[in-house]
Amino acid sequence: MSRQVISATLAIEKGKIVCADCGRALVEAGQSWKRHAALTSTPIRDMPGAASAVDDKVVLRYFACPGCGSLLDTETALPEDPFLDDVVKA
Amino acid sequence: MDPITFSIIRHRLFRVVEEAVITLKHVSGTAITNEGHDLMVSLYRADGSLLMGGVGFLHHLTSAAEACKSIIRRFAGQINEGDLFLLNDPFTAALHTSDIYLVSPIHHQGKLIAWSACFVHVYDIGAMNPGGFAPDAQDIFTEGFSSPGIKLIDRGQLRQDVWDTLLNMVRGPEMVALDLRSMIACNNVAKDRLLALVVKYGEATVDQACLTLIEQSETRLRQRLRDLPDGQWQSRQYLEVKGETYRVILTMTKQDDTLVFDFSGSSPQSKYAVNCTRWASLGGLFAPLFPLLCYDITWNEGVIRPITMIAPEGSIVNCTRPAPVSVATVGAIQSVNNAACSAIGKMLAASDQYADEATAVWHANHFAIFMFGTNQRGGQSIGILTETFAGAGGARTFADGVDIGGEIPNPISRMANVETIEAAFPIRYLFRRRLQDSGGAGTFRGGTGGEMAIVPHDAPDGGIHYVLSGKGSKFPQSEGLSGGYPGAINDYVWVHAPKDAERSFANSLATIPGDKQPISWGVFPLMQKDALYVRWNGGGGIGDPLRRAPEKVMQDVIDGVVSSRAADEVYGVVMSHGTVDASATQQRRSDLRRVRMAGGRTA
Amino acid sequence: MSSTKQKFLVATDVGGTCTDTIVFSAGEPVHLGKALSTPPNFAAGVLDSIRSAAGPMGLTLESLLAQTELFVHGSTVVDNAIFTREGAKVGLVTTAGFEDTLLVTRGAYGRWGGLTEDRMKHPVKTERASPLVDADCIVGVAERTDYKGAILRELDLAETERCLKRLISGQGVEAVAVSFLWSFLNPTNEHKVRDILARIAPDIYCTLSSDIAPTPGEYERTSTTVINAYAGCISKAYIQNLEQLLRQSGYGGAVMIMQGYGGLLPAQEAAERAIGMLECGPAAGVIGSRALGELLKQPDVIATDMGGTTFKVSVIQNGEIEYAREPMVDRFHYAQPKIEVVSIGAAGGSIVWLEPGSNVPHVGPRSAGSRPGPVCYGLGGEEPTLTDVFMLIGYMDPEIFLGGTMKLDKECAYRVFAEKIAKPLGLSVEEAAFGIYRVAAAQITDLIHEITVERGLDPRDFVLHAFGGSCGMVCGMFGAELNVRRIVVPYTASVNCAFGLVSADIVHEYSTTTVLPVPSPAAVVNRIFAPMVQKALKELQREGFAGDRVRLDWAVDFRYSRQVHEVTTPVRAATPLDESGLRQLADDFESIYERKYGKGSAYREAGMEMTQFRLTARGLMEKPELEPLPLGSADASAARVARRPIFVEAKGGMNEADIYDFEKLVPGNVVEGPAVIHTPITTIVLQTGQRGSCDPYRNIVIDLR
Repeated sequence: MSRQVISATLAIEKGKIVCADCGRALVEAGQSWKRHAALTSTPIRDMPGAASAVDDKVVLRYFACPGCGSLLDTETALPEDPFLDDVVKA
Repeated sequence: MDPITFSIIRHRLFRVVEEAVITLKHVSGTAITNEGHDLMVSLYRADGSLLMGGVGFLHHLTSAAEACKSIIRRFAGQINEGDLFLLNDPFTAALHTSDIYLVSPIHHQGKLIAWSACFVHVYDIGAMNPGGFAPDAQDIFTEGFSSPGIKLIDRGQLRQDVWDTLLNMVRGPEMVALDLRSMIACNNVAKDRLLALVVKYGEATVDQACLTLIEQSETRLRQRLRDLPDGQWQSRQYLEVKGETYRVILTMTKQDDTLVFDFSGSSPQSKYAVNCTRWASLGGLFAPLFPLLCYDITWNEGVIRPITMIAPEGSIVNCTRPAPVSVATVGAIQSVNNAACSAIGKMLAASDQYADEATAVWHANHFAIFMFGTNQRGGQSIGILTETFAGAGGARTFADGVDIGGEIPNPISRMANVETIEAAFPIRYLFRRRLQDSGGAGTFRGGTGGEMAIVPHDAPDGGIHYVLSGKGSKFPQSEGLSGGYPGAINDYVWVHAPKDAERSFANSLATIPGDKQPISWGVFPLMQKDALYVRWNGGGGIGDPLRRAPEKVMQDVIDGVVSSRAADEVYGVVMSHGTVDASATQQRRSDLRRVRMAGGRTA
Repeated sequence: MSSTKQKFLVATDVGGTCTDTIVFSAGEPVHLGKALSTPPNFAAGVLDSIRSAAGPMGLTLESLLAQTELFVHGSTVVDNAIFTREGAKVGLVTTAGFEDTLLVTRGAYGRWGGLTEDRMKHPVKTERASPLVDADCIVGVAERTDYKGAILRELDLAETERCLKRLISGQGVEAVAVSFLWSFLNPTNEHKVRDILARIAPDIYCTLSSDIAPTPGEYERTSTTVINAYAGCISKAYIQNLEQLLRQSGYGGAVMIMQGYGGLLPAQEAAERAIGMLECGPAAGVIGSRALGELLKQPDVIATDMGGTTFKVSVIQNGEIEYAREPMVDRFHYAQPKIEVVSIGAAGGSIVWLEPGSNVPHVGPRSAGSRPGPVCYGLGGEEPTLTDVFMLIGYMDPEIFLGGTMKLDKECAYRVFAEKIAKPLGLSVEEAAFGIYRVAAAQITDLIHEITVERGLDPRDFVLHAFGGSCGMVCGMFGAELNVRRIVVPYTASVNCAFGLVSADIVHEYSTTTVLPVPSPAAVVNRIFAPMVQKALKELQREGFAGDRVRLDWAVDFRYSRQVHEVTTPVRAATPLDESGLRQLADDFESIYERKYGKGSAYREAGMEMTQFRLTARGLMEKPELEPLPLGSADASAARVARRPIFVEAKGGMNEADIYDFEKLVPGNVVEGPAVIHTPITTIVLQTGQRGSCDPYRNIVIDLR
């Protein structure tokens, strides 16, 4: 098996983490892939469904494939917090 | 052992727990126990290890094991046939003071062979605020009666002095007495039925079956873990109280057939009652683990063995005495539930074999509002708004989450009818429905949460008061998975009606007349023509929303659970004249992808 | 209409598989008929079944019906419409702001309701049943009534008319359900909707929640209303069509339809209450069991029925039948009085399997059904079932199954069972088979224990009735484990539901919801009952019942003020009530409460409330009397037809035992276990120490020691 699924949107192929959709390689397997993705941050306050008391600073981080724009992952974060780091062993 | 006898004994052990649950609900007769299913009954081995966990609030299964173990230590040499112990100290084993454990040793021919333990959320525990959740509490000493273990029944005799002392410290002592009686009856049924099993099959055979059950659970969970990929997954939850933000940080590491939950990096303990103790955190991570990883494995000690927890002392997930913890079950514990659900979901999604077991986070925050005051018949009422149990399902990798579909840690809860609440409290609902744009967007959408508003009605005192330990109104907590968005957050709004306001039949928050004040923590009045608006969080979504079938998006818009704005901005679906415009949708979606590739900058 | 000509009473029950008929006439033996059910056109099967009973009587369908005085009927047609989703397109009108009440099913309740515990523990794989009304066919209209029944907001008539028109012409709805908050206290606003609909679209079928389910709890009430609207056209067409077919075949009498609460309604009335027909077959079975209990002077009965797919059990205590607290059909909740029948998937067709990884044996809940069915049917079944187990342990005789009409393939069953079950367990085929048998019996024991405990009852105080094709083979085993003293395998076991139909009365249920404190003056309570009594008497009179053929039973639901359990407490005193009668009623409530919910469960300090006032009005039907036969000698040797090895629990293995032919047994004969009695439809197994005797009604009565 040449391709190992590591989430619904990512896979490991030939020792690299790739976008499951377009196959674009992001980084060597076993490393943190998020800083190689295209990052967008949107304040939760500006999203549909926001409530009256929502925190001003909290954002939704979108990590998209730089090759095809597929959304690879999201996380809720305050700007000062690091990326959540998920690593699947090959 | 003989597989036939084993099968029969196992089935009967399940039934023992089930019959005890029925007894508990029957005798108690309260709404929180009967509607919310806010209860737990389980059997434990002679050493206090979990033998058979029942379906109830699952974060209690391991804590009650610790309750048995601490009774064994504390009362060594004084545990007799017919005894029954009460324990509700969170720093010993319980989750918070109002979830009382009653623990019974079960003896056969003079020998201690097992324990049964159960809990209900009692009517009141004498904390600063009525009902158990005490947002005003500064420390454990202001959170009501608390015992690290006390003998309530001694060799079959109720200790009247203890009983009277306890009831002397709570509001509604008759109701608390009823709660306690229900738990006593429940333990008695568990004991009688287990002993009948022992008499029929012999103690050694039953004990062997119990051991086998535990071994099987351990073997099967370890095998499942080996089938899953090795790796590390992180999740993070924000909690806010009165402007202070706390984090629960989880790094879950799976190696071979073991799983480590490490909460290092979580915030120091709070001065507010959202903290939880170590045993509560352990219970909190097991609550989703049982149904997500052990849906076909018996919930017992065998499941616990492959799991390790690291929770730094003095943190919000392992606070030290005398930190207040009365809001823990819907505070830090629930954040631990969510963090574990998120990390386990990511691990399952990383496996071809188990991807269809993965789920985004369900209903991540209980709003847990307790109302109290004089009811329309002139009596006193304290009660929870059971919409807190209504919940919202997280998306699955094959289907949307279930709208207002409950929660993972308490799989069989439900909410009361509007008519039930209006009959019991002097209030009237303006509306209660699914909440638009609350289900986290995704290829599969999270289940929606809900919204409701209430006003006083026929209240002798002009209204009532309520205890709000509201969290979840600042930060999304129902995390999405693999690109899915989180579910929308809670909201609590006090609408101050104008002086000359008429009776309202407003059908939305926007149309309720008056000034709208967001509130979140403390005791508040609901008087005269004022209204309380509450919305509760939706479940997280799974996958890129731009991959959601456009027809489904349109149906959601027609049903009112997704706004046209979200259809456009989040899902990239263009509709005209009641149909999806396929080519415009394709164009819109590719535009949105390009924006993403450019890091959010429109080209 | 001469009484000599019209002498028969015909009852036909349409079940999922078979349509059973029973024909009674005074002083004559009972005649039975059976035919396959014919969905979706069930009426055809009804005529087939009556015809099959007429044949052996030397009559044609027409001549039998011409001599029939009364036709009593139960049918699964409404259940079928719901399971197959073949009902009408429904529009639902609710109070504005509460449009989602039905869809969100009180939160997770509709997601886990009706699931086994195993499935509840696996929430990721649970869903709600898809609703009987589309989300875009639900409209909220401006109106509001409060908890006292006071109208706070009048119905907006113009808006309502607009909404109804949109539903009908825009969405194409064929039936309308109306369910407003608190309408059971004040139906005015619902009536207004009905009036508008009658004016603008008189052909649209309409159900009001205040008519069909005038009880508190808007979710269950709405669900009930929607189910009734959904199936209403079908039940109406079905009953009208059946009546017409019967008339064409020469029948001139009345047609009575069984209801899920165990009473009959005249066809015309039943046609408007589709919801009432749900599960009326099993309800009739319970009525049959009660009638048998009364005949045998044993009014405390646990009635069990084990057929091909499910094991069903219900409890009759002192002739009183238990109603379901949260009835469901196909995972939809509804609020109607319905006889409680609890079931598990452990029956003849249940598949026997081993848990992967641990090899722990399981029985059901999956069933092989009738196609392919058990392996021994030889119809291609490759998964062993309980029926195969019964044959492997010698209980079923492969040669004489179903009276010899179907030969069973023992070799094939042996081979499959050996490979899939016995070998992995490391046991011989016989050992493994009776192991599985013990597992099934233990699961049934656990179920019965649970439901009796739930009601605060002790199974040892009951007589067990065993119905259905498979029950006779297991009842001796679980009966012993439950410590019952006596088991009855009734002669009419194969057509028990039809037997229940002829044992039933016309029953109308009325209720009024209002909360009264205790104590309240008796006059206040009587004032609540008075209009219901008046209505009932009028209705029964119209149906031809008066004087001593009318029975009115009063009952009041009580609860302790701060507890949720409500207990329907029958009025024992004379009605209208006087003060002491009302006091006695409250006392009765307290003792029932403690019996049911356990010692110490009553919280008297909070005070008591009366919440619902119920009137059950019966038009008493003339019941056919079964003729007892004279008792003969105890010696059953004339009926002993063979000896063969069977599994005997006490010996823990296969032992030679006597085999008896039921057809050769005469009343008075006694058979000592271990033994097997073959009847044309079932097999009765007596374990060691159990003594079976043939009673004057040809029931097999098993006494346990």
